[in-house]
Amino acid sequence: MMDWVLLAMILALLIPIYEACQDEDIWQKMLAFASIATKTSMMILVVSVLRDDWMIGVVGVLILSVGNAALMLLAHVLRRMNLGRMNLGRMNLGRMSER
Amino acid sequence: MPEDWYMVAIAALLPLTACMLVLQVNPYHALVIRGILGAVAALVYALFGAADVALTEALVGTMLSITLYAVAVRSSMSMRLGVLEPQADPPESLLMALREVLRQHQMRLERVPYANLSALRAALEAQEIHAACIPGLSVAQSMAEEESTPLSQADRLPHLQIRVRRLHDIMQAELPPGQTRLIDTAPFNLAKSSDISTADSIGGQL
Repeated sequence: MMDWVLLAMILALLIPIYEACQDEDIWQKMLAFASIATKTSMMILVVSVLRDDWMIGVVGVLILSVGNAALMLLAHVLRRMNLGRMNLGRMNLGRMSER
Repeated sequence: MPEDWYMVAIAALLPLTACMLVLQVNPYHALVIRGILGAVAALVYALFGAADVALTEALVGTMLSITLYAVAVRSSMSMRLGVLEPQADPPESLLMALREVLRQHQMRLERVPYANLSALRAALEAQEIHAACIPGLSVAQSMAEEESTPLSQADRLPHLQIRVRRLHDIMQAELPPGQTRLIDTAPFNLAKSSDISTADSIGGQL
């Protein structure tokens, strides 16, 4: 029974991997990354329950939270870069008027 | 063992995502796929019983390394273009053409405004910027308060002086003609005779 759950999870993991492979938009890739990070940590949690191994369970919880933290850090850096590209003229004009 | 088949299936995801990472061209996309690879690797390590390795992979390999690499890529893959603002704003068509050429090389354009021509020259000499966009002769001469002489069409175009040799080669090969005039060996030909020593020192750095 649990094997079939894991098989379904592996198949579900292939969907965002394919999406990250073929999509050109950076934010679509970030969405795929978020999906994969959550799915892999949920798989770790399911396997830890399956094997009754608490050590893997604790690590799974930590990876679940850390994966989202990495996603938010990377998203902030990318967002600042995109905003800088779009508002560059406006920012420069603001800097000139300060002088 | 009954758990063999799903271990093999999960372990096969690791070379799959590694190939995706190697085949990626855009550095930012490669960073996101590096995060995906880290997540899959942490899963594989945890399933093989190495909980500490999985935790280290998630903390260092995914979170710290892609954040540091994102900052490094963001600060290095850019071309700093010094412009005179607001009295001689470079035409938008030139900026669009530059952005298009740089985008094909996964780079971006960063405009650095300067108040006058001497500050722009000093910044180029001090290697603060990679390139300088100097207005065409008519604008420069009116700024220098010289008499206007009949000018050719090429002299009226904004001049683009690029300090980095590789960037200059790329622009010479791929920038569409009619937008700008690239200055190569004799930079700042709009300068007066007293500035020739400055121009020679800049030419020596090329």
